[in-house]
Amino acid sequence: MLKKTLAFALGLGLMSGAAYAQSAWTGGDDLPTNPLACDGTPAAVASKPYDGGSPTNAPDRKGKPLNVVDVPKLIGIGYFNATSKGIADAAAELGNVTAKTDGPTQANIDQQISFIDNYITSGVDGILFAANDPVAIAPVLKKALAAGINVVGYDANSQPDARQWFVNQAEFNGIAKAMIDSLAKESGEDASFAIVTSTFTTPNQARWIAEMGAYAAKCHPNLKWLETVEAQEDNVLSFNQATTLINKYGDELKGILGMTSVATPASAEAVTQAGKCGSIAVVGLATPNAMKPYVEKDCVKSVVLWNPVDLGYAAMYVLRAVADGTLEPGATSVKAGKLGELQVINGSEILLGAPFVFTKENIGNFDF
Amino acid sequence: MTAALRPFLRHEAILFVLLVAALFVLAGQSDRFFTIANLLNQGRLMTEIGLVALAMTFVIVTGGIDLSVGSILGLCAILLGVFWQNLGLPLPLAMGLAVLVGGVAGLVNGLIITRFRVPPLIATLATLALYRGLAEGISQARSVRGYPDWFFVLGQGDLAGVPTQLWILGLLTLVAGVVLGMTAFGRATYAIGANETAARFSGVPVDRVKIAIYTASGLVAGLAAVIFVSRVSTTRSDMGTGVELDVITAVVLGGTSIFGGRGTIIGTAIGLVLIQALKNGLALAGVKGDGTIVVIGLVLILAILASNLFSREDG
Repeated sequence: MLKKTLAFALGLGLMSGAAYAQSAWTGGDDLPTNPLACDGTPAAVASKPYDGGSPTNAPDRKGKPLNVVDVPKLIGIGYFNATSKGIADAAAELGNVTAKTDGPTQANIDQQISFIDNYITSGVDGILFAANDPVAIAPVLKKALAAGINVVGYDANSQPDARQWFVNQAEFNGIAKAMIDSLAKESGEDASFAIVTSTFTTPNQARWIAEMGAYAAKCHPNLKWLETVEAQEDNVLSFNQATTLINKYGDELKGILGMTSVATPASAEAVTQAGKCGSIAVVGLATPNAMKPYVEKDCVKSVVLWNPVDLGYAAMYVLRAVADGTLEPGATSVKAGKLGELQVINGSEILLGAPFVFTKENIGNFDF
Repeated sequence: MTAALRPFLRHEAILFVLLVAALFVLAGQSDRFFTIANLLNQGRLMTEIGLVALAMTFVIVTGGIDLSVGSILGLCAILLGVFWQNLGLPLPLAMGLAVLVGGVAGLVNGLIITRFRVPPLIATLATLALYRGLAEGISQARSVRGYPDWFFVLGQGDLAGVPTQLWILGLLTLVAGVVLGMTAFGRATYAIGANETAARFSGVPVDRVKIAIYTASGLVAGLAAVIFVSRVSTTRSDMGTGVELDVITAVVLGGTSIFGGRGTIIGTAIGLVLIQALKNGLALAGVKGDGTIVVIGLVLILAILASNLFSREDG
């Protein structure tokens, strides 16, 4: 018996041993990166043919009332409350759209698929989504397209052919540049830093981390990456992970990058409670309301984000334009109400704009 | 059927009435609920939970519990991808091996529980963390995609108009029902749950039966993993998180006593269908996700209260 047990222990040990053999920045994906120029020269927009999908036998919805459901990654967090508000605002402005938000209470692929599946059966006209996994969500979205439903993504993309358009809140390399530039400015060019992300496979976060790695190598080569830790999108877990980082690396740690709207305030709180304000810079993606206390106390200097209310708002306008037939494959821009004309990039994506860095001077002007 | 079996037939009868009532009410709320297409589609969505629930019924009838099934599912899913893509094995072999790993993971549970006398709750709580950790470590945070088209037949295709995986679930439900209800193995399972010491002294090979049951639990979790990967066309290390709770809910709703000794496969099947019908029907009727969870909680409490009430009158 003892022998058997030892064999098992050995087997398990070997398996877990194989798990730690990786270089690069953990949590990044392995897609090609495209870092921006260090001085901020805008990248040329490469023209690319439309690569989105199209619904089968969609009825003529031009000017007709639309019944739209929005299925975000999860409900009940500030970020998706904000996108949901933007969608509702746009729906009210348009007047001929009924929109509701429904989704899982945890960022879970299986549950999100079930929600979308049920709404396909219930017969909606349009689906807005933010994918928990770009591939896993594809079959159910293709099913929606096959049922003649208009499908538009925002925030987190799916495979392009599984939806019609995707509203891109900011290009990955743009966010990566803003994050790394802010970090280098605040903690010094040769600082050591760690990253708190949601999970290593979450598409947005993985892309940003890969782009940040590429941009740092190009423009801030002396920055030293220590570790990436997973914290789901969980408040307590994020706080614990950040605290662990602070204790583990001690004075070596000069910066923490928060990759989610949950991880950044939790990391700031961890730094505050550890009494390390000023010696550890926290730079990250977060909503302004969550960060106001830390920004006002000078514990956090840069919060990088776009406006999620605008993101939801744009997604709703894009869906309406697709249903009306005014946004067709090959278009180069689309009108989105108060946001004006938005640019089409990467074949079937619509760019919301450049990322926004909230600082002590401007954060008071935002309330979401 | 003997007199001893009557009380839990009673629970299944109550549950069945509840299910029929729920189906009627839900069908009245949305004309898209009671359609063949929707019902078959729901069958597709509940297969993974259903498979694991079959083995879980055996586990809980012995008075045990297996909290590690969701983690085993995640581990097998990741290994399927690793075997196929990283080790370059043919996909059918990788599928077989993934299921086998599930069996080994279950066997480890069984050995820990029987050889070291660790309570199943503790043992599988530990392996829940262990297997999930392995899944996340082995995957190196990468998901595996790009499976060939034939592989998707399992999770997304149809056979004679019925989702492929529903055939597997149906077949295994039948097998599980026969094994638990009509064989010596099934009687040994009940005996262990009713009184383990008595069973041991009556010559029931308690440890061997338990090990077989936990191994089977791991095997079906592995099978569920393969089907899940085929359904969603990618592998991730967080697959199957929380599945154990959905499974235990279905089994307990189906009338299996958490203290062991009581429970049937038919009860589990009804419990499973009832939960899936509620989730789907309420969503179609326009109830949001959070409302649905509340209703399922209430139904679980009500079903168990009602069943306790009736069995008390009986005695």
